[in-house]
Amino acid sequence: MKKKSLSTIYLTIVFLILYAPIFYLMYYSFNSGGKMYEFESFSLEWYKDLFQNTRLLIIVLNTIIIALLSSAISTILGTIGAVGIWHLKKRQTKNVLLSLNNILIVSPDVIIGASFLIMFTIVGIKLGFSSVLLSHIAFSVPIVVIMVLPKLQEMSSTLIDAAKDLGASNFNVLTKVILPYITPGIFAGFFMALTYSLDDFAVTFFVTGNGFSTLSVEIYSMARQGVSLTINALSTILFLFTILLVIGYYFISKRNGRIIGLGARK
Amino acid sequence: MKKLVQTFAVIFIVSFALMFWVQRLNASEGYAGGNTITVYNWGEYIDPDLIKQFEKETGIKVIYETFDSNEAMMVKIRQGGTSYDVAMPSEYAIQKMKEEGLLLKLDQSKLPNLKNIDERFLNLPFDPDNEYSVPYFWGTVGIVYNKKMLGDRTFDSWNDLWADDLKNQILLVDGAREVIGFGLNSLHYSLNDKNKVHLQEAKDKLVKLQPNIKAIVGDEIKMLLVNEEAPIGVIWSGDAADIMWENENLDYVVPEEGSNLWFDNMVIPKTSKNIEGAHKFINFMLDAEVAAQNAEYVGYSTPNKAAMSILPEETVSDERFYPSPELTDRLEVYENLGQDMLSYYNDLYLEFKMHTK
Repeated sequence: MKKKSLSTIYLTIVFLILYAPIFYLMYYSFNSGGKMYEFESFSLEWYKDLFQNTRLLIIVLNTIIIALLSSAISTILGTIGAVGIWHLKKRQTKNVLLSLNNILIVSPDVIIGASFLIMFTIVGIKLGFSSVLLSHIAFSVPIVVIMVLPKLQEMSSTLIDAAKDLGASNFNVLTKVILPYITPGIFAGFFMALTYSLDDFAVTFFVTGNGFSTLSVEIYSMARQGVSLTINALSTILFLFTILLVIGYYFISKRNGRIIGLGARK
Repeated sequence: MKKLVQTFAVIFIVSFALMFWVQRLNASEGYAGGNTITVYNWGEYIDPDLIKQFEKETGIKVIYETFDSNEAMMVKIRQGGTSYDVAMPSEYAIQKMKEEGLLLKLDQSKLPNLKNIDERFLNLPFDPDNEYSVPYFWGTVGIVYNKKMLGDRTFDSWNDLWADDLKNQILLVDGAREVIGFGLNSLHYSLNDKNKVHLQEAKDKLVKLQPNIKAIVGDEIKMLLVNEEAPIGVIWSGDAADIMWENENLDYVVPEEGSNLWFDNMVIPKTSKNIEGAHKFINFMLDAEVAAQNAEYVGYSTPNKAAMSILPEETVSDERFYPSPELTDRLEVYENLGQDMLSYYNDLYLEFKMHTK
């Protein structure tokens, strides 16, 4: 009994520490004074400010567009890549390709961002929407590969043999057997790519320009000029939005009777 | 498979719908259509209402971006991915950018309001005849002190900082030229002194200041002074004006030995795509009423003579920010010291910073 209450206390403390900064930030988004200390009185003026700010709305939308498009495209590319790697006969080539893939995941964002900047400049791609989209796709593909590959490996090869025995063409095997089997992995990859794209700062910071901006970059440059409580208001809304997503996701997966992939982890 | 295709189709449709929405928003804001200029400025360095006014008057949309150091700005401009049309570098950065060919020459016939600028601030060593730049704001380096925490103490001279009873009370802004500079000033040497004996002397003197120094910090110096973490700070006049607004106990003084006179200037980088619009923007900012409104908002000193006649008397006669002619004579603009001398300054500064108490 005692052990149980101890673990509850521990868990409570850990969660308190994890969530305290977020709630602190949310609390002060309602401060009528302009500071993150000395709460003066309750007001919604920062929210009003936020909603009147068309530029910020455009940036929020841009962030969502970039996240959705880049993760969708990289999911398609990554899945093809994973199937390709899985299909390889030679063990050594497989390992080499996998390692090359993993290096991209581990290497620091700053390096990826800087090298993209150099490349885009040399190639002559104008910095802005397309450069950000391309770089987000590029750093998401390896993540999708890593998420999809285990599903492929756990799939029994007898499934494919059986399908072929029953007269399925290669295309049929892919669309009717492999893809349905690895669907959870594909969704997991998609959600991972989505979260990576949404909170990426370093890479975007390097390759953005011409007035195009995503939320993380914009909040950073807003915060440098002294933290305005508009940022708090924006963060509060984003936080609530994430919670809604998680809840919605929970109900969808409950209705379907299973959790789709690992997306719920975030 | 069907589920997958459906999901991805939905994702793409949603993205394109959102893109269409953004396009509409951009169009309603006027950003589409090409008639825009991109202004690259320091954070909190313009009255946002003025941008709106400019957009209304000229129909040109302003895309406003900010930077926090001259170096970061130069990198972005050198790299050339973004077509900045107007930027606001400090004077030493202008010299560098000129050498690297990053600036376009100004067409002064398109800047009739240039006549509003005080002659004292035209034709300066970093840009003779104002071929490339027009002054935007100017200021000094001086001492901010907290009257409540220090009582009647005043700081007429840099040497007052060395007082024995000021242990652990001083905050310095982290800049080699600023710190070595006031070391030189306190010895009545020039800020651009290239005599290594003088420089060594200044460093030795600064080392003696170490017991009084609480910290050497960046931009957070403003917050620390407002929150009364320390009573004394060596900072730029513009930052001083900012924090005096927030904490009434603070006061600013330019010591009598003299100090640095710095300028931020408007230039047109070579990345500009709308040179016509850039000239219009610069000319707009030089307008007397606009410059006055901007100076009131930002709190820095304006070089605009016509604007000064509009500004309230108490602002313009405030000698802390618009120093008397005698003091102005003792203010010096940083000159380009050359690479070798600059690294010598940096080395000395580093030695000073590493010197333990």
